[in-house]
Amino acid sequence: MDLYAIAQAIENSAVGITVRDSLYLLPIINVFHVIAIALVFGTISVVDLRLLGVPSNSRSLKAISHDLLKWTWLGFGLAVVTGSLMVAANATTFYSNNEFRLKLVALAAAGVNMVIFELLTARNAHLWDKDVPVPFAGKLAGALSLIFWISVIFLGRWIGYTKGFNFDVPVDVDFDALF
Amino acid sequence: MGDFAAWLAGTSLSNTIAENLWVIPFVQSVHIVALAVAFVSLLLIVLRIWGWAGQDISLTATTDRFAPWLWGAFAVLALTGIVMVIGEPARELISFSFWAKMVLIAIGVAAVFSFQRHLARHKATWEGTLVAQSSTKVLAGLTLLVWIGIIFMGRLIAWDAQIWGSLSPQSIP
Repeated sequence: MDLYAIAQAIENSAVGITVRDSLYLLPIINVFHVIAIALVFGTISVVDLRLLGVPSNSRSLKAISHDLLKWTWLGFGLAVVTGSLMVAANATTFYSNNEFRLKLVALAAAGVNMVIFELLTARNAHLWDKDVPVPFAGKLAGALSLIFWISVIFLGRWIGYTKGFNFDVPVDVDFDALF
Repeated sequence: MGDFAAWLAGTSLSNTIAENLWVIPFVQSVHIVALAVAFVSLLLIVLRIWGWAGQDISLTATTDRFAPWLWGAFAVLALTGIVMVIGEPARELISFSFWAKMVLIAIGVAAVFSFQRHLARHKATWEGTLVAQSSTKVLAGLTLLVWIGIIFMGRLIAWDAQIWGSLSPQSIP
């Protein structure tokens, strides 16, 4: 079974049909997707900037990560669920959409960057937890993470303008008839 | 408002934005990046008030760290928002979601602003406070809810008539 056939099957599943045919589900799912993005990117950017020494190195990296990472994962989980529902509703369109494919690549890159940081760079993180500049590898991980996640956001927004059925086209309004 | 939107749609700036198809998605993407920064900056101040985060630093230190980012991101949000309104006046100005969002922004900004003023006046007290009073916690939670509402309404601008029905000026009776 090739990927396109899988996409067709998802699109024709009960979940896909329900989301696609509902007036309210896609808008509501989109709202929660944006809130999820805010949680994921907002919290990750605080950690990334801290790695880069912004605004300073004076607060413990461990304390910052401890405060933030649970919200990052909560947001990421919500983003995956809402994102999957959006894909399910129009799976074949997403499958053939270049921006969607690039977004998956950017997400994978962000994931690989995170794993490398956690497994290699952060092994001796206790040495630069507070008041010490983060070593180059850590700063690089922070900068790359910012670039990858901002790319994810841009590509995600671009899907809405390239996927063929554009929900974002402004409604034609007859000014004279309205007021 | 219809006249204003029609006039705005006729300006050369509006046409330039509309003709360059990349401008609106680009500005919307910047808007999303900025809203993430603003939302999490506020969230971290609220979490500190609740005692759920930042227990290693004072509330004053937390606010000093995140309030400038909240307002900086807010400035970016206002700017990119204005570009969107100029580029798509009918979609924005003639919608229930947009005006509901503007009302919520007014409330949300006033709430954060008055909190910061209160904090500046009682700096010494807050410096030594580990956990805030429950009334403060409730107010912080309500403020966060207002800002979540701002995100809600902002995204729903795209489906105004579909979601709000007759409440939306775009709905066809």
